[in-house]
Amino acid sequence: MTDPAFFDGVIKILFVCVLITAAYIITTKNLISLVRVYSLQSLVLVAIATALFWREGAAVLAGIAVVTLVTKVIVIPYFIAAVQEKIRIKRDIEFHYLSPTSSLFISIALMLVIYIALSNVLAGTPAKGSLFFFGAVIGLSLVLMGMMVTFSRKKAITKVLGYLSMENGVLLFGLFATELPFIIEFLIVIDLIILVILTTILTIGIDSTLEEYHNRLHRFYLWEEQEEAP
Amino acid sequence: MIELLFFLILALFTLGTVVPLAGAKGDRRSIRVFSLACTGAASALLAAFALLVIIPGTTFALPLWQPFPGISLDLYVDRLGAFFLLLIGTVAACTAVYSSGYTEHMEGGNRRNILCGGTALFVLAMTLVVASHNTFSFLFFWELMAAVSFILVMYEYRDPGTTKAGIYYFVMTQLSTLFVMLGVIALFVLTGSFAMAPLAITPASAPLATAAFLALFFGFAIKAGIIPFHKWLFFAHPASPSPVSALMSGVMLKVAVYGLLRFILDVFSPDLWWGVLILVFGIASAVLGVIYAFKDHDIKGLLAYSSIENVGIIFTGIGLFVIFSCEGLTLLATISLLAALFHSLNHALFKSLLFLTAGSVVHATGTRDIEKMGGLAKNMPYTSVLFFTGAIAIAALPPLNGFASELLLYIAFFHSVTVVDPLLKVLLFICLALFALTSALSAACFVKAFSSVFLAQPRSDAATGAHEVSRSMLAGPAVLAAACVLLGVFACQIFIAAGYVIPFPDLLLVSILLLFMAGLTYLVLYFTASREARISETWGCGTKSQSAITEYTGHGFSEPIVTIFASVYRTKKSSTKTYSDKYNCLFGGGTAEIRLVAFFEEYIYRPIGTAAMKGATIVARMQNGCLDTYLLYVFIAVIGVIVFLGVMA
Amino acid sequence: MSADFVLYCILNTAVVVLISPLFVSLVKKVKAWTQGRQGPSVFQTYYTLAKLLRKETIYSPHASWVSRVAPVACMAAILTASLFVPLVWVTEPYGGIGNIILFLYLLVVARFFMALLGLDAGSAFGGMGSSREMSVSAVIEPTTIVVFAALAFVFKTLNIFDMMAAAVSAGTLKTPILILLAISLFIILIVETSRIPVDNPETHLELTMIHEGMILEQSGKNLALMELSAAIKQTLLMALLINLIVPWGIATTLSAAAILAALVIFLVKGCVLSLVIGTFESSMAKMRFFRLPGLFMMAFFFSTLIVIIEVFA
Repeated sequence: MTDPAFFDGVIKILFVCVLITAAYIITTKNLISLVRVYSLQSLVLVAIATALFWREGAAVLAGIAVVTLVTKVIVIPYFIAAVQEKIRIKRDIEFHYLSPTSSLFISIALMLVIYIALSNVLAGTPAKGSLFFFGAVIGLSLVLMGMMVTFSRKKAITKVLGYLSMENGVLLFGLFATELPFIIEFLIVIDLIILVILTTILTIGIDSTLEEYHNRLHRFYLWEEQEEAP
Repeated sequence: MIELLFFLILALFTLGTVVPLAGAKGDRRSIRVFSLACTGAASALLAAFALLVIIPGTTFALPLWQPFPGISLDLYVDRLGAFFLLLIGTVAACTAVYSSGYTEHMEGGNRRNILCGGTALFVLAMTLVVASHNTFSFLFFWELMAAVSFILVMYEYRDPGTTKAGIYYFVMTQLSTLFVMLGVIALFVLTGSFAMAPLAITPASAPLATAAFLALFFGFAIKAGIIPFHKWLFFAHPASPSPVSALMSGVMLKVAVYGLLRFILDVFSPDLWWGVLILVFGIASAVLGVIYAFKDHDIKGLLAYSSIENVGIIFTGIGLFVIFSCEGLTLLATISLLAALFHSLNHALFKSLLFLTAGSVVHATGTRDIEKMGGLAKNMPYTSVLFFTGAIAIAALPPLNGFASELLLYIAFFHSVTVVDPLLKVLLFICLALFALTSALSAACFVKAFSSVFLAQPRSDAATGAHEVSRSMLAGPAVLAAACVLLGVFACQIFIAAGYVIPFPDLLLVSILLLFMAGLTYLVLYFTASREARISETWGCGTKSQSAITEYTGHGFSEPIVTIFASVYRTKKSSTKTYSDKYNCLFGGGTAEIRLVAFFEEYIYRPIGTAAMKGATIVARMQNGCLDTYLLYVFIAVIGVIVFLGVMA
Repeated sequence: MSADFVLYCILNTAVVVLISPLFVSLVKKVKAWTQGRQGPSVFQTYYTLAKLLRKETIYSPHASWVSRVAPVACMAAILTASLFVPLVWVTEPYGGIGNIILFLYLLVVARFFMALLGLDAGSAFGGMGSSREMSVSAVIEPTTIVVFAALAFVFKTLNIFDMMAAAVSAGTLKTPILILLAISLFIILIVETSRIPVDNPETHLELTMIHEGMILEQSGKNLALMELSAAIKQTLLMALLINLIVPWGIATTLSAAAILAALVIFLVKGCVLSLVIGTFESSMAKMRFFRLPGLFMMAFFFSTLIVIIEVFA
């Protein structure tokens, strides 16, 4: 079962799955399934990393798979799910700037734009046209789709998930496009940042919109400079 | 021999024009019938003439008149031209037959003579546009066609709606002529002649050639009603008498298509992006046209929007043709071109059929509003069957002709994966999806049109008292309906006979199978099922008898689509509520409004109109009517000329 | 037309007419099981059809010639479409039979007549059903076409016969992308056969019904025709899914043994798919009508992604 064509096929399917989960994160209003889908998306990334490991045999890939599995499939979703049980918010029905449908169209357009841009950047290199090139395109699209979530949704928890999904995109891009050791360090840094942000939000309250959150920071004297302004 | 035939046709058309205009003083039926007979005979002969040219594949040239060296009115008919002549001839002949009944029921006294004469001249002008050999005569007859059609649109000139339509039409059609003229001038600059000959493009002349193409494209697009230049169509078609709408929608739009095709095929060697431009405009018109058609409840307005959709489909075919020929895919290019041509013919047939039967319905009920119709299938059974044929043809249901041409386009689209460039591939896939949406929406649209007009109970007294129309008003459409069926069923055989070997399913076999299955079902039921039948009231949740109030109307039918595509319609819903108690529980009263914004009118046409008015005001300031001012202008102009000649040159 | 092809026509039509009611009742049975009921017998639809044929036909006084013509026309279109999808035996296509676009449009013919039928009696329910049916079908159409285009792209042909022959001879899945296309086909199957979450085939409440609303005014043999044509349409779409994705067992040669074996295998696969449909329906709630475009957009996004991936990578 080490036929490269077979692996290519499997990876293609996994790409579609990644994008589907991203589309779901953009459009859904149900917060509980949002977390599940995020964890599913991470699981698909694990599968991609494993498939690549099988194909290429680089130990780093296996490492990435394990790290992702532990942090993003298990730990982070567990945290958020735990918080959700406390705050009892089930739905985030507010959308900024974009309606769910138009954001789907925009994400398809984004993919095409990234494809054009990347093929111009990589023109002449052998990477163009290969599966690796396409993986990079998907990775970047995922980053941008995550970014769309962060600005088009109102609830803080959805924004965090958008951010996490962005970070998944970075991971995917890293798997296919850039030097691996560097990207792992990078990932760990980002993961740390996410953890910090998460814990902050978890302690102060994840149910609020960001404006309310600022007010709470004020109340707990965690956000001082605005207080000094007249 | 063939020249003689053509001269006979021209003479008959002229006779049909001159006689009623000469006798315009008297309101005599015989004059009109004579004129229409001339038109009908000439059109039928024209169709025969076209077949004589198409079948052997010969060409036919006829120099008419040469006022100056280099400028001449020449006629020339090849296979492409003959195809469009066939289209003009068939539709015009059927329309003339219909008109002989229709005009007698019209109001307007001796203006009807002008209508008959104008119709003959209009058909003649369109014939000559298609038969033009050079760009000069093309432009000349093009303008003649525009002027005559304007007069025909203004038939009910006392009606303020018609006046508005006429002004819209006049402005847009002149704009179209302006663009076409610019294109022709640019071509003249490039080649130094008015001949429609292949253009040799050097790098230096490429920008001008592109400009010429763009000017011609926009000129033809305005005339063909491509969105966003479509607004005149929606005003002009409902306002004019039904035979005129049928001719304008069925034939005149096709003349614009002919113009575009002629210049693309014979003059330019198109670039890929020209194809993409035509494709994008085409598909946008197709989708938006049918979406607008869906919400329209004026039966002729609905048909007008549907014309925009179909012209969009034709342009899609032309765009695909250009793209595929640039990519070097000859077979696909042939299929696309064939689709565009075949759809032109088919649309001419079924759209004039629909306009003519719609005219019968409007005549019988006295209204164009489909909400005031209903139940006409029982009062007007033949008209309902004819309209039904047109509806299934235009909804692209097999095995009729509308389906045959759309199937050609689908085949071209499905094979577009052989295009190399992945981006182009994705564009074509997206266009394919939109095309499918168009097709499905047009089926929905004509379910609505047919059912609101002909099914269920009458929704007004006029509809209750409607009666079947006269025989001539059935005969014309019947011929068109038969043509729709035959062209669909024998599509595959026609393509083979015309020498096109393409992978096209045999619709004759499908029709036979459909008939066989229907017969089989009927027979099985006849022998196995109970033959008892009873007439009993429609279930209305226990009410004793249904009234027309409870049935589904056109508005109700289109509501889901209007809601789903609210962002396209720019639907604005607003409501105010007052409550009788302080807890806002008991609803006291209020207002609610659903407004469909006429997007193109409010956001494109009016700003342009306002800007034009402002410009005109500035110019008007210079025209103060004082002689001294004008002398000053002359003085300045003379100085200017002297300075230009003496200093600059 | 060769003798083989005539034989195919007879065989295919007979099989599809005889099998279809079984799958309909089977889905009902599965739904009953999941609700903890015993449910009607798996042959119930046959009994119902037989009973309907013995009943008298009732027409509304407002009905026109459409009510007399439409049920037969609808059935004829569906039966003709049934020739386009080989169930158990794939032979050489003849004269463009099997063209996937023509197949799709024959289904549209049936839908067109059905929608007119719904409006003919002047009942508000029928009008509502027709309006919704035409709207839903218009919005799902881009997805359907994109999926069919993707199928044509994968198999390099427009003909369903050739597709199935290619699928059989390949033995395994032609490309893994087919798994994704199977999901899309399943969504189309659900939408086209008016099932939850798009429509609820079991209620006659005006708020939920689409398909049932259209045929509310039908009775006797006309109702039997409408029910049977709906059942055949479902079987055809199921067969398309089954025979392209899990093609094993279809007969490619004309022998009684092969065809019998293929028939049994097809029955088993069809029953499994019916189980899946029933379970899927039971696990879903009916969606609000104006939420449906969102669902279809997801389906469209999904299918377009498949195409893009197939094109680019």
